[in-house]
Amino acid sequence: MSSDFYTVSILPYSGIIIKICRAYTNSQEDFEDYYQEVCLQIWRSKDNFKEQSEWSTWIYRLSLNVCLTLLKKKKNNKQHNTLDYLPPEAMEDSRAFSDESLNQLYDAIRQLSEIDRGVILLYLEEKSYQEIADIIGTNANNIGVRIKRIKERLKKILA
Amino acid sequence: MEKSIETIWKEGFLKNDALIAPKLNDLYNQKSIDIVDKFRRMYKINIIGLVLFAVIILPVNIAVKIPYMGIPMFFIFLFIAFFALKFKNKLDKIDKNLNSYQYLKSFDDWTKEMIQFNTKFSRFLYPFVFLSLFAGFWFGGFGGNIPGQDFVNYLLEGNPDMLLVFGTPLFIILGLIFGVAFFAYFGGRIGKWDLNLGYGRILRRLDTLLTDMEELRASN
Repeated sequence: MSSDFYTVSILPYSGIIIKICRAYTNSQEDFEDYYQEVCLQIWRSKDNFKEQSEWSTWIYRLSLNVCLTLLKKKKNNKQHNTLDYLPPEAMEDSRAFSDESLNQLYDAIRQLSEIDRGVILLYLEEKSYQEIADIIGTNANNIGVRIKRIKERLKKILA
Repeated sequence: MEKSIETIWKEGFLKNDALIAPKLNDLYNQKSIDIVDKFRRMYKINIIGLVLFAVIILPVNIAVKIPYMGIPMFFIFLFIAFFALKFKNKLDKIDKNLNSYQYLKSFDDWTKEMIQFNTKFSRFLYPFVFLSLFAGFWFGGFGGNIPGQDFVNYLLEGNPDMLLVFGTPLFIILGLIFGVAFFAYFGGRIGKWDLNLGYGRILRRLDTLLTDMEELRASN
């Protein structure tokens, strides 16, 4: 990967990647691995970008797909314990942000199903229902209901 | 009043430290070590499998009265395990202190050498296995009747004019020659196919990783 490509095409969107990778990992080490893998996949797949969507939307989609794939691989690998099998109190390494409320919100998001994590991240990033549906690959009609349900669940966890 | 999740999100990411991207150095280090370690584990299991197979096939073949197959198979599989062990020792000597690219390149050189040896060796291995199988069923157990000879006698009863070479029907000798030639000719390919079944996936990953790294080096 050329440093130019990284600086011009990835770094300005690194916030998106960071936000997504944080939701699918519970340690700094895993986060860095996921981040690197997403960047690598963006670089490898850059020729597949057809400009039918915005570059940022494409990055959202690719980042989510990479994280879901890595999480699936990790689950299959019995040597590793995934977050899904860890109680929240065991996530001592997940204090990634100086803002404690944000840490708590991320802890709560990590307790959601893998797809719900993606949906709520996109919602919080102020993506439209149609965009969320396009990225996740579902029907826009269901997104509103789903987001409502996820927000209720998050409120319960955070309470 | 409790903050909404939207507010927590917005305010949290306003802080400077929230979105610091990790550095992309050492991108390939862990990948390189992982891929070689995985291969090493698989190779070790393979060697243990070869030794176990050799140790098991000998008594089993003696028990089912085909020792002339079991004995050569025992030696040939031990022989393969011996060479595999020598290759493993070479693999263990690859210096982990090299940088990722050199480390993977050394591993790649090792795999090429191993594949080359395996391909050449397979040209002898498969004809040898074929002959061992034939010998097992032809000569049968120690002492007693020789099944191959019984078979020849049976054929001669129906066809007394059959052409024999050293007491063996010509068509069997030709079949043997054809079998040996076939496995000698295709042995290398069978060996590669066999290797690909076990290690193909990991070797393809190695290729991809090396290509990426070479591109990375070229573009820097």
